[in-house]
Amino acid sequence: MNRTGLVLEIQRMSTEDGPGLRTTVFLKGCPLKCRWCHNPESIKSDPEILWSGHACLHCLKCVHVCERKAVRHTDDKIVIDSGLCNSCGMCLKSCPTNALEIAGKEWYSGELAVELLKDRVFFEVSGGGVTVSGGEALLQDGFTLSLLAELKKENIHTAIDTCGLFPAGRMENILNLTDLILYDIKEIDPVRHKEFTGADNAVILQNLTAIMQLINEKKLSTEIWIRTPVIPGATDAVENIRKIAEFLSDKQNSISKWELCSFNNLCNEKYRRLGIQWEYEHTPLMQSEEMDFLVNAALDCGIDKSKIAWTGMTRKE
Amino acid sequence: MNAAIKEPANLSPRIQWLRDYFFKGTERNWNNENTSWTTGTDWDFQYNELTYYIVPETYPFLQTFRSSYAQNAKKVDLCDDFWSWSLPERVAWFNYQVMVNYVPREILPGDLIAGARFNIQTSACLNKKEARQRDKRVYGKKGSRSQIKWFFNHGYGNSGATSGHLIPGHEKLLKIGWAGIRSELQDYYDKLPVKDKKGSKGAQLRAMMTASRMAVDLASEYEKLCRKTAAAETDPVRRKELETMADNLSRVPLNPPKNFHEAVQALWINHMLVMSDENYPGPGVSFGRIDQYLLPYWEKSVKEGMNREFAKEILKCFWFHANTAYDATLRIGGNQGITAGYGQLLTLSGLGPGGKDMTNDLTYLILEVIDEMSPILEPKPNIRIHRNTPDKLMDIIISMISSSQGAPFLLNFDERSIAGMKTQAEKCGLSEYINDGNIFDYAPVGCLENTMTGNDRSGTVDNNINLYKAVDLVFGSGRDTHPFENTITGKTEKIRQDGPVTGDPCKFKKWSDFTDAFEVQMKYLIRRCVNLYEISESLRADTAPTPYLSCMVKGCAEKAKDVTQGGAELNFTTIEAVTFATTVDSLLAVKYLVFDEKICTMKQLKDALKNNWEGYEILEATARNKAPKYGRDDDEADMMARYVMELWTEEVWKHKTKSTGRRFRPGMLSWNYWVGAGFILPASPDGRRQGKFFSNAICPSSGADINGPTSNTNSVGKALGGKLIDGGKEIYMNMLPNGASHTISFNPALFKSEANKEKLKAFLKGYSRNGGTALQINMVDSQTLLDAQENPADYRHLLVRVTGYNAYFVSIGRELQDELISRLSHEKI
Repeated sequence: MNRTGLVLEIQRMSTEDGPGLRTTVFLKGCPLKCRWCHNPESIKSDPEILWSGHACLHCLKCVHVCERKAVRHTDDKIVIDSGLCNSCGMCLKSCPTNALEIAGKEWYSGELAVELLKDRVFFEVSGGGVTVSGGEALLQDGFTLSLLAELKKENIHTAIDTCGLFPAGRMENILNLTDLILYDIKEIDPVRHKEFTGADNAVILQNLTAIMQLINEKKLSTEIWIRTPVIPGATDAVENIRKIAEFLSDKQNSISKWELCSFNNLCNEKYRRLGIQWEYEHTPLMQSEEMDFLVNAALDCGIDKSKIAWTGMTRKE
Repeated sequence: MNAAIKEPANLSPRIQWLRDYFFKGTERNWNNENTSWTTGTDWDFQYNELTYYIVPETYPFLQTFRSSYAQNAKKVDLCDDFWSWSLPERVAWFNYQVMVNYVPREILPGDLIAGARFNIQTSACLNKKEARQRDKRVYGKKGSRSQIKWFFNHGYGNSGATSGHLIPGHEKLLKIGWAGIRSELQDYYDKLPVKDKKGSKGAQLRAMMTASRMAVDLASEYEKLCRKTAAAETDPVRRKELETMADNLSRVPLNPPKNFHEAVQALWINHMLVMSDENYPGPGVSFGRIDQYLLPYWEKSVKEGMNREFAKEILKCFWFHANTAYDATLRIGGNQGITAGYGQLLTLSGLGPGGKDMTNDLTYLILEVIDEMSPILEPKPNIRIHRNTPDKLMDIIISMISSSQGAPFLLNFDERSIAGMKTQAEKCGLSEYINDGNIFDYAPVGCLENTMTGNDRSGTVDNNINLYKAVDLVFGSGRDTHPFENTITGKTEKIRQDGPVTGDPCKFKKWSDFTDAFEVQMKYLIRRCVNLYEISESLRADTAPTPYLSCMVKGCAEKAKDVTQGGAELNFTTIEAVTFATTVDSLLAVKYLVFDEKICTMKQLKDALKNNWEGYEILEATARNKAPKYGRDDDEADMMARYVMELWTEEVWKHKTKSTGRRFRPGMLSWNYWVGAGFILPASPDGRRQGKFFSNAICPSSGADINGPTSNTNSVGKALGGKLIDGGKEIYMNMLPNGASHTISFNPALFKSEANKEKLKAFLKGYSRNGGTALQINMVDSQTLLDAQENPADYRHLLVRVTGYNAYFVSIGRELQDELISRLSHEKI
């Protein structure tokens, strides 16, 4: 167990991360580097100071306040020399507009649980709870474990959102405290998976099988929802959906749901703020017919109608 | 692009015609524009400006309105002894004459409800001496008009004795008919000692007896008209309808209705004449729990085989009539939603005795009518929900919210609202009138202002104060920090010591020095409002009786006192606080910037505010982005909200009107005042510049609720008083008996799927546990609103929710449109 963890964001009233109304905790750090990543600032495992040019007043308070001279103003940009920075946070505190913001704040699991319980009433009336997401929830498995333990003390419904890439065995203790696992299978073809995410998918698929076995052996009631992000020009190939369907078809008793999540571009603004060119900036949303088509392809491969659905935004008709 | 904008549905040709006809506006041959009537004296006037003191947009036109109504007034022949009567008797007789013998009557094609024109401006009926005295009290140097303008111009707010805003005793009136009311009045009159008969009590009861004939005799006239129209009608179906209407009118509203059609007919005539009596179109003249008191008639008609669709036709005709109130402003373009200002509010569902849910078949029938007729402004529906609201009703609510651009109704939350009524009963020792046996029968009026029913006038919109003024006065030590500049004369007023001296804030050593001063100025602000109200309240009590309305409010006949003189059993007047969150955030900012973090000195902050933050952009940004804010479910900040709430509400309860003995009570409606106040009051320490809006009612400041709707909800609940846990039982607290307006906007994409509609339902259930008294939901994205700004013609029907009222988006004025768009753009989800 590790009582302190690095949290990127706490999002209340999440409607897309499990049943009911939820508060989603995004942890920092992810082993994958998906090309379409919607939380680019979640990938690195260390806190990062981000500068948003559009919000900056160029008052240079941050430059002056830094005792180690790690903050510099060059070419109208604020640059932080990571070699000199000791993460004291003075520059952040001094910034009047929050143009300098830290991605990744340390939280103590007990205090975080108190914060999360503020929406307890909404969890109760909706059958919702807390989802630990990322980044990758299992990259900080010790912290995740201690947070889940705090929440379970209060009988809160818990979910974990994982990309599936973690050393075998990490899930074992966590499973006992988790009501739902949202498990990503993005791409079934290992070569394409590596191309899209930077890593092979062999471990991901093995881990899923292992989790299912564990649940079975321990007779746990933990549910599994499979999630496949449907990304135009990448994971939206019907072949991909068919093959995932084939992989899942004999495991249907172990999963309660398979969601095809249609691509969204809500993070456009975030990329713009970070000054990063996003490959998907101009990619149109999926059409609802396309999503229906993919669902039908999965049904043809033997997936039970009650198990599969697509979610998310589609192009305006 | 506007394919998704809600349109009416399932309208019969009859209703379609009536609805389309209404929206033809000035192109109609028939309309319900005000007609004006005079006694014919030189000093006569009709327009009662006191009732418009709470509408600052009208200040420049007060004299114009008075003159034009007077010039256009037609003479009513008076009887010989008219001037020998008391004022209430003159008024009752005059209004009776106008409505029964002068105003034209028509039955519109297909209409199933009689009673069409009701917007009238009638003579004040004052004799020369009375008129001269009254004019002095209005126009004199210290008169009401100059006082209200001063109050408004200096950023305090506004205040005036206003019409309506109550629920007349419709239930009783239906049960016993005007025949029953008359015999009660006669009894009370007969029991008066001879001395009282000769005095004001006798006069009042005689006036009420005259007024009590108005609805009945008007109905007889309409009956004749229906018979005449029927005789000339060639279509046998329509002829039968007209004959039925005539038959109905022969029985009601004199006698208790025998069926649903009669009940709706009686309710309409009884209601519309309140608007005639008060010379004001539908100012929060509300119906209360219509699905409860119309239920027996509905059930009887169902047993007799009434067709459900025909019942809806009757109600839809009623809806049409309610909307014709707006003909009063037919030729005036709307701005900032004032054209949406009428608020003939009806209440559906809610708790009954013993925690029972009172939803019934009629609730659902009326909801169908609302859904099929909307978007339309009147009557405004309010649905009361609570912990045990049935799922069926919740599902309908959710589906109606998601298929229109938001709720075509307001949601009232019983547990929190009832807690507020309890506060009122306890504070004022009113358990005789508000207790466990009837508290569930509370209902909102106007927009969302909770009152009891049939015996309660709580002046729910009469006083509106800008809490922020108290902060401004701290900075000026009781003097305005900015001089008032008259935009017409260009003259700048000299700043005076209006409020108490609380010392130069730059010399304050600690935070409590600031709050000490703030408390002194808050008390002054409220006292100033109380004193101002007294002027119009006493004027109204002396010069503007409403004997017809008094017949319908319990207490008036018993006390032989007009409702304008405090005749109702429950007599309050409400101070509605405006600029709440900005005030809270400003205190938080002063504390953070000057005392806690010492980012600037008080002098620097004072200078920054004086310069509207110009030249102080870094400090401004710090105030805006770094200082804590109310609305984020941050306990420390929300405790500041609780502190401000306790302070101002406790002060309000201390006051009573001198002339009429009405106690002041607190609420938070805000109307559209938070918009205008932004231009009058200077920059505020929370980082708001002059010219930017203040916060709306109990809502967090625009853009402050960065943690989403659930945290916003929690903060609002905490500000109102939160909950106590007593022996495992949750007890709701609420410092605002009147209730508080709260608007939340959602992006419609969020709740498109069926699964997510369940989540919206859950949010409302959560709101009922943790939130405020009332909620408005907007379900529209900023793109749609931007498009509507560009192409208003395509969006004529787009309704948005502002402060407890609905308004057509295209008619609300650019500033408020921009504000709504900016609110939606702030959404994270």
